Amino acid sequence: MNRFRRQFASGLLTLLVASVAALGLHEKFGALPDYAFLTGWALLAGMFVLTIYNVRKKLPFLPLGKSESWLQLHIYLGFFTTLLFLIHLHFRLPHGWFELTLAWLFVLVSGSGMVGLFFSRVLPRRLATRGGEVIFEKIPALRHALKTAAENLALGADAKSPVIAEFYTKRLAPFFSGPKNFWLHLVESRRSASALLAELEDRRRFANDAERGKIEVLLALVRQKDGLDYHRSLQLALRLWLFVHIPLTYGLLIFTALHIVLVFGFSGGAR
Amino acid sequence: MPAAPTIFERPQRWDAAFDANMTEAAVDRLLATAPFSQMAAEKFPKRTPLRDILRNDTRILRFRKGEIIVRQGDYGTSAFLILQGAARVVLNPDLAPSLLGRQAPGKKGFFRTLAQIWNSTRPPEFFPRQRLGPAAGLGARQDASDIRVFLQDVPRILDKHRTAEMTAGEFFGEIAALSRMARTSTIFADSDDAELLEIRWQGLRDLMKQDDALRSHINRIYRERALASYLRATPLFRHLNEAQLGRVAEAVEFATFGDYDWSGEYKRLAQSGRVLPEQEPVIVSEGDYPNGIVLLRAGFARVGQKFGTGERTLNYIGAGQIFGLDEIAHNWRAKDLPVNFQFSLRAIGYTHLLIVPTRVMEEIVLPSLPKSELPPLVEKVEADFDFRPPEAAAREKVGAEVLEFLTENRFFNGTATMVIDLDRCTRCDDCVRACASTHDNNPRFLRHGPSAGRLMVANACMHCADPVCMIGCPTGAIHRESFAGQVVINPDTCIGCKACFNNCPYEAIRMVEIRDGRGEFLVDQEMKPIAKATKCDLCVENHGGPACERACPHGALERINLNNLDALAKWLKL
Repeated sequence: MNRFRRQFASGLLTLLVASVAALGLHEKFGALPDYAFLTGWALLAGMFVLTIYNVRKKLPFLPLGKSESWLQLHIYLGFFTTLLFLIHLHFRLPHGWFELTLAWLFVLVSGSGMVGLFFSRVLPRRLATRGGEVIFEKIPALRHALKTAAENLALGADAKSPVIAEFYTKRLAPFFSGPKNFWLHLVESRRSASALLAELEDRRRFANDAERGKIEVLLALVRQKDGLDYHRSLQLALRLWLFVHIPLTYGLLIFTALHIVLVFGFSGGAR
Repeated sequence: MPAAPTIFERPQRWDAAFDANMTEAAVDRLLATAPFSQMAAEKFPKRTPLRDILRNDTRILRFRKGEIIVRQGDYGTSAFLILQGAARVVLNPDLAPSLLGRQAPGKKGFFRTLAQIWNSTRPPEFFPRQRLGPAAGLGARQDASDIRVFLQDVPRILDKHRTAEMTAGEFFGEIAALSRMARTSTIFADSDDAELLEIRWQGLRDLMKQDDALRSHINRIYRERALASYLRATPLFRHLNEAQLGRVAEAVEFATFGDYDWSGEYKRLAQSGRVLPEQEPVIVSEGDYPNGIVLLRAGFARVGQKFGTGERTLNYIGAGQIFGLDEIAHNWRAKDLPVNFQFSLRAIGYTHLLIVPTRVMEEIVLPSLPKSELPPLVEKVEADFDFRPPEAAAREKVGAEVLEFLTENRFFNGTATMVIDLDRCTRCDDCVRACASTHDNNPRFLRHGPSAGRLMVANACMHCADPVCMIGCPTGAIHRESFAGQVVINPDTCIGCKACFNNCPYEAIRMVEIRDGRGEFLVDQEMKPIAKATKCDLCVENHGGPACERACPHGALERINLNNLDALAKWLKL
């Protein structure tokens, strides 16, 4: 068994054991008066450990262990904390806008984390299979270079081809003008790019030899641009979920602190 | 009508002399000086006459007392002959790294480690103005085109270190030059009129080839100083007693293949996409009679096999590894069914090797080996289409595509190559950010590079087994942190000469223009920005190992010694 499978198996087993134990304890002690207090503090401790992973990331020069181990802990503890959250709520929806907002924040943070986990396990392999590795920050410059090359070919001073110029203006210019097909690339659909390539290939019927040569070059440029869009879409998705996960985490922490103040201020402690 | 081609003169070996200012009078003087005066000039071939070797492959250097001639641990391409004056070799203890222009090895303390939290707000490539002067214990003098670095307190050094004097007529540096090993001692000038003849590797090789006295002199030094201890440390000879080891040492032949300055040529070929195995110098041809085992002392070689019209790579071997033992052991045991070399061996870059003749192997070495240590009998390749040679194991470990990729790009040179598994890498750049945070907001690598399948080798210093970047640094700023350790640059003594930058075949060294605390460039008297060489230092000063590797949340980045494919194979199978 390789390291990743070993990690997965041991992590899953630990999670299952912890979940069963937590549910067992819930059954046994769920009716106790201080039970919400106990699960609340356990939940807070779990959230604290989950949050300090970001601190570890910010201090890479300190010998705080491998980020890989931290992420494993983050993932499995994240699942367990979700269970603790449900136990803390007694598997019921909370009342009032504040508690509801707090609950929604928790759900969104957990949900975005799960989406991120799914993306990070699935999308890298797809990017590697597609090839044409490119640094995300360089994509706009590369896209601009492709656009310029295509534009010069279709509309440049020595272009003189209405067949190509017309098609470029109507169909290719919008395609080259910016990133395209984000969602289609994400769901691995080639529909739009294939249609565009087919249309361009169809132009060969109206083209002379010189124009056919240009069409071949344009086809190659369209494929390159499509590859660039593919990388952009998947790499963007690999980053975007974090823009939900991290800011909402801060929101969740603020609401959690207020929740503790409210509980202790207005209920005489958790009951 | 096609245009007539432009005719150029074919490049010749001596188009670029070692010293363009070498005069005929200086050559005459050398020819009248021992050992050249005792050499039979008529024995030298017409293409490489003695006079031309001296004119093109040597240069005369003058040093003042205390000026460093060679540093311990540096890689050099030349040997030295003292013409006049004296030099002094430091025997023990070794000089402190700071005296050689290097940074003292060691980790950052607690407070320096913590200080990195706020150092990340500094401008990029910040360099304190006060550190721009000469380093402590070291001085520098510009001599014509060269920088001379001198020790400032020679009497104290003589007092605290055991040294030996070397005088006119003595050679040194020849073993390091020929075997591409690190210099074993530091030698500095011991008189103000020290005059030395520096002979570059090619010239030394030709002189040795034509002059029996010089060859036997250098071979004797080699056998005395380096060979005995090397053979003693080689597992194959561990069952031999001193007398047997002595007989083996006497019979060993030395050979060098390839180009000492391979990095420049490789860069050129790589840029033109013409790096082909068939162009590499042949050490052993497939099908040749096995007349000895080949021990690689330095450099790398490719084990290949004919495949179609070309040659496919089965494995590559590096320093300390042996080629040809299987065939010779087979012939010794199965005399009725002799085999020839089953594979070819080609030098990659520069290779220095030792050949132990078959006779010596059969009489001394093989009888000393226990049966369990003898390799299995060779199965002939042509007899069995399903035959898989032992070397193919490397191919199976990492896959043919990866093996060819690593060999073509010469990545096996790396002892800490940054490899990225693209199937796991989420392109989050946590590795780049960690590197930047650890180096005062300056990332020291690029998360991009050549790839094969799911494997990418990022553009980061690989801390090569054969560090060509270390050849020619005038101040010793680029050095190994410890013996065979990480290659690091001391920014305080780097003068921005670009020698390492130009030598590195992997383009892993960058020249950066340094700035002060306000972000303004530091400039010299001519208002030109002062540059320093930078590269990955493997976080040698930090606790816990390379930050890039520790920062990867998905275990997609690893620093791997590609001299050994097992580690890569294991990692890829994870």
